[in-house]
Amino acid sequence: MKRLPPRTFALLLAAAWIAAGLIGLAVGGSRLGPADVLAALGGEGSESARAIVWSLRLPRVALGFLVGGVLAVAGAALQALVRNPLADPYLLGLSGGSGLGAVIAIAVGLESAWALPAAAFVGALVAIAVVYRLALVAGSALDSRILLLAGVVVGAFAGALVSGILAVADATGVRSAMLWLMGGLGGVGWAGVAALAAYSAPALAVLAREARSLNLLALGEEPARYLGADVGRSKRRVYVAASLLTAAAVASSGIIGFVGLAVPHAIRILRGHDHRGLLPSAFVLGGAFLVLADAVARTVVAPIELPVGVITALVGVPLFAVLLRRSARRAVS
Amino acid sequence: MAVRRLLHPVRYSICFALAALAAACTRAPLRGALAVTDDWGRQVALPAAAHRIVSLAPATTELVFALGLGARLVGRTHWCDYPAAARAVADLGNGIGPNVEAVAAQRPDLVLLYASAVNRPALARFEALGIPTAAIRVDLAADVRRAARLIAAAAGEGSSADTLLSGFDAALDAERRRSATGAARRVRVYVDVESNPPITVGGGSYLSEILAAAGAENVFADITQSSAPVSLETIVARDPDAILVLTSDPTRTPDLTGRPGWRSVRAVREHRVIPVDGSLFGRPSPRMPEAVHDLAIRLAALGPR
Repeated sequence: MKRLPPRTFALLLAAAWIAAGLIGLAVGGSRLGPADVLAALGGEGSESARAIVWSLRLPRVALGFLVGGVLAVAGAALQALVRNPLADPYLLGLSGGSGLGAVIAIAVGLESAWALPAAAFVGALVAIAVVYRLALVAGSALDSRILLLAGVVVGAFAGALVSGILAVADATGVRSAMLWLMGGLGGVGWAGVAALAAYSAPALAVLAREARSLNLLALGEEPARYLGADVGRSKRRVYVAASLLTAAAVASSGIIGFVGLAVPHAIRILRGHDHRGLLPSAFVLGGAFLVLADAVARTVVAPIELPVGVITALVGVPLFAVLLRRSARRAVS
Repeated sequence: MAVRRLLHPVRYSICFALAALAAACTRAPLRGALAVTDDWGRQVALPAAAHRIVSLAPATTELVFALGLGARLVGRTHWCDYPAAARAVADLGNGIGPNVEAVAAQRPDLVLLYASAVNRPALARFEALGIPTAAIRVDLAADVRRAARLIAAAAGEGSSADTLLSGFDAALDAERRRSATGAARRVRVYVDVESNPPITVGGGSYLSEILAAAGAENVFADITQSSAPVSLETIVARDPDAILVLTSDPTRTPDLTGRPGWRSVRAVREHRVIPVDGSLFGRPSPRMPEAVHDLAIRLAALGPR
C-alpha cells in the first residue's frame, strides 16, 4: 500500500472528521430527521428536539472527538516511548488503578454523579505515581522494560484488589461501577467536555513539543543521545503527559479499548512515522473513529445502547487487519 | 464349600460392591417419600418432608418464610434481607457460585438453588453428596406461584401454598380492578435501575408486571430482555410521565437534575420522580400486591400531567 501524500492525507482526515461529526449529530436513539437536527441547532423546532441535540448529542460528539483524540495521541506517544507496538494507553497500570478507584467509590457508598469519574481519576493518578516511582528505581532515564513491568504489576495488584472487593461488596452497586468502566460517552455532559478540554490542552501541547524527541527515541536511546536528545527528560515528560491524558479520558468515559492501540498504527501505515505529523493526525482520526463508533453503538440495536468499546473493536479490528495485510505486502514486495 | 468360596475376600468384596451399586441405583427414586419437579425439569426425590432447608436466593428465602416454614431454614445467602427474621439464619455467603462446603455443613435435607447456568457445577456437587437440590428460577410473578408450590410440596405442607396463593391472587385482583377503574389513561413510566450508563427494565420483567397491575406502563416495554442499557436520548424522546427509581432508601427522593444531561428529561425537570424500595420492587415475591398498591397510591399522588 502506497503512503498518501501529506496534503491528500490531511484533506482526507479533515473530511473524515467532518463526516463523523455530522453523522454523530444526525443519528441517535430517537428518530430526528436531518431537518429537525438543523432546526434544533438553530434554536427552532420542538423543545424535546432542542434538548436532545443541544444537551445530549452535541456534548456527546464533542466528548467523542476529545476522548478518541486523546487516547490515540497517548497511545502513539507510549508506543514510541516503550518502543513496543503493543503498547496502548492503559498498558501502564492505568485501567487497574482507575477500576480500583471506581469500585472503591461504589463500595463506600459515594452517590454523587461525579463520584465515579473523580474516584477513577484519583485511582489512575495513584497508579501513575506508583509506576513512575518503581521505574525510577532503575535510574532517572525510565528504562522501558522496568516501566512496562512496573505498569503490569501495579495493574495486576489493583486488579486483585478489585476482584476482592467484588467478592464481598453488594452486587448491584458494584455492577454499576463495572458497567461504567466498560466505557460510554453519555455520562458527563457539557461540564465534563469543558473540563476534559481545558485539562488536555497543556498535556497535548507537551507531547507535541516532544514529537522530535520521539522521532529520535524511535531510533533507539543511544542514537537519540548522540543526536542531542535529553532522553531521560523527554521520556519522563512523555510518560507523565500521556498518562495524565489517559487518566482524564478514563474519568470522562470509562475504559474504551482499541482506539489508542490501532489508530496510531493506522496513521503510521497510511502516512508515515514522523511524530510531528503522527500526533495531530492520530488526534483527528482517533476522534473521528470514536464518534462514528458511538453513533453505531447508539443506533444498531436501539433503544438498547451497546458499550462503545464493543463497536470500536468489532469495526476497528477488521479495518486494522486490512491495513496490516496491505502494509505487510508492501514490506515484502 | 460353597459358603467358603463365597467368603473368599476378593469375591466377597465384588459382591459387596455389586450390592452397594444396586442400593445406590435404587435408593433415591424408590425410597423417596416425596418427589417434586424443579425448574430444570429434574425430578427431585426426598426421603421425607424437608425439615432442614438451605435457601440460596433472596426470593426463595422470602417464600420459605411466607409459607410459614421459616423455622425449617438452616441457611441463607448473604443477600437475604427479608423478612427481618431471615437475618437470624446462618449466612452461607453467595447464592450464585455457592460455597458447597458451608452448605453441606448445615446438613440440609433440601437445598433451594437459583437456576442459573453458573450454578450447574454446584448442583452436580450437591447431587454427589446426596443432598436433594431443587433448581428454582424466580423472575416473574408466575414464578412466585410455581416456586411456592414446589417448596410447600417438598416440605410436605402443600396446603400452605394454597393459603398463600389464594391470598396473593385475591389481593392482586383487587389491585388490578382498582387500577382499571381509576385513571382514563395509563401513566407512562421509566424505571431507573442504574444511572450511568442508564439501565432500565424491559417489557417481560417483573417490574413491568407491577407497573401493568398498577395501571401504568413501561416506556421501554418494546425491549424483550429483562433489563438493558438505553441511551438518555431515547428516554428524552419517549418522554415518560414519571420516573421510578429503585433505591435502598425510599424515604429520600433522589435529585436526578444533578446527573449530567438528565435535565433534558421532562419528568426530571418537573420532579415527577418516585423512589421505591429496591428489595420490595426489584425481587419477585408474595408481597407483589403490596408493591402494586404502594405504586398506585404514589402515582395517583403525583397527579395528572
